Amino acid sequence: MTPWLVIFLLLGNFILMVFNARVEGGERVIKVWALTVADFVQSPVTTISSGVSNYFISFAELRSAQDENTQLKERVQELEVEIKGRSDLEAENERLRQLLDLKEKSKYRVLTARIIGRDPSAWFNSAVINRGSLDGVALNMPVVTDGGLVGRITAVGPLTAQVDLITHDKSGLGAVIGEIGNSNALGVVSGTGKTDLVEMRYVSGSIEVQPGQVVFTTGQDGIYPDGLKVGEIVEVISGSATVPHRIFIRPAAGLGSMQEVGILLYEQPQKPDFERSLAPGERTTRRPDSSPQ
Amino acid sequence: MEQVKVTIALILAILAQWSLRNVAEPFAYVDFPLIIIVFAALQRNSMRAIIYGTLAGLAVDALSSGLLGANGFTKTLVAYLVSELARRVYLDNLFLRMIVIAGACLVDDLAYYGLHQLLGITPSAPLVTTVAYSFIGTLIAGTTIFFVLDYFSSDRLRPRRRESLSQRRQSRRRNPIKLGR
Repeated sequence: MTPWLVIFLLLGNFILMVFNARVEGGERVIKVWALTVADFVQSPVTTISSGVSNYFISFAELRSAQDENTQLKERVQELEVEIKGRSDLEAENERLRQLLDLKEKSKYRVLTARIIGRDPSAWFNSAVINRGSLDGVALNMPVVTDGGLVGRITAVGPLTAQVDLITHDKSGLGAVIGEIGNSNALGVVSGTGKTDLVEMRYVSGSIEVQPGQVVFTTGQDGIYPDGLKVGEIVEVISGSATVPHRIFIRPAAGLGSMQEVGILLYEQPQKPDFERSLAPGERTTRRPDSSPQ
Repeated sequence: MEQVKVTIALILAILAQWSLRNVAEPFAYVDFPLIIIVFAALQRNSMRAIIYGTLAGLAVDALSSGLLGANGFTKTLVAYLVSELARRVYLDNLFLRMIVIAGACLVDDLAYYGLHQLLGITPSAPLVTTVAYSFIGTLIAGTTIFFVLDYFSSDRLRPRRRESLSQRRQSRRRNPIKLGR
């Protein structure tokens, strides 16, 4: 009896895996339920642990508070003098900054969220946040920090959601080296299987690329809006006229240490009806000029 | 009663696996459900261990970015292998149990990685480092948890030991050679 049960369960799990590996971008019902159940454990554990940790940190920091206070007072005086001396420049700077902020803020609404759980497996690095469908979070919404792009929402429960990071092996996003509109170095950024590195592919080998250049999203993938900072180039394996470059990027967002993130309440542009009606296989093989006459 | 205790331990292990990584990153390298599954399998009830393996594996997969069913597959396999081993070999010694936990951890990790590679997905973490850390973390936590579980589950064994000792003493008293003296 037992060997048959083992074979049945192993086969069932294998079929689940194969099905899961084939279906991309879909949401698992089991994951939504698990997120909902896990929230009742993850939220209190995170609150208690951060409370305890903050208490000990504040206790430890009390020792150096006196010195720090004196230093800060001196620093405040210095800054006050500096502000008075540069008032004109500051006012101009402020006006320009307000204009820039207004432009950014009017583009997307940001919902802040706290990370309450991490991937239970050591092999992957997704995160669970304390915002769900009741807060207006939807599937595939981009997640950012003040540093840059973090990833996208891959499962949404009523109170929590799961975020897959850009370092995930199956992630992919359209990106450009430098400012969009000023650069034609377009490519696709995907995970490398490493926690602190992503790879940019399909950038023409004839374009000059240097380590240190910054990479932004293009918005052409239909998930992420344009202009989000992805990271900085750390290594380039140069291509040629016929072979594209292989570019390695360090993500701008501190993916290992983040505790709070922002969800961009961004609605992806609607796909044309004809594209949605096609089967996945047909989307890649069918061309506009091959339509029946 | 014993079954209830192991079931509660398994539920606590799943909840710990879901939440403790956010408290401290090293907890990612401790496979709590695997420890309980090995404990259940060592009690020679293979059917229960196998079902626990599948359920715990699926619960972990549900919150992971990995493939749904991968942990279910590996933990079912580990539960079966350990229960078959426990049927053939006497494994009530703690040192032998530590070897079993270590082996189970290695089989679980390598099978998990292999299944993902087979289906075209590369896990984010490096193989050797992750296996090594998991091995150490799970072995230390496993030994500690086995001590605790043994303490809670051995209350039925203690009276039996006492009974057997008292019987021995009685038989000594009734020894005809000693009585003859």
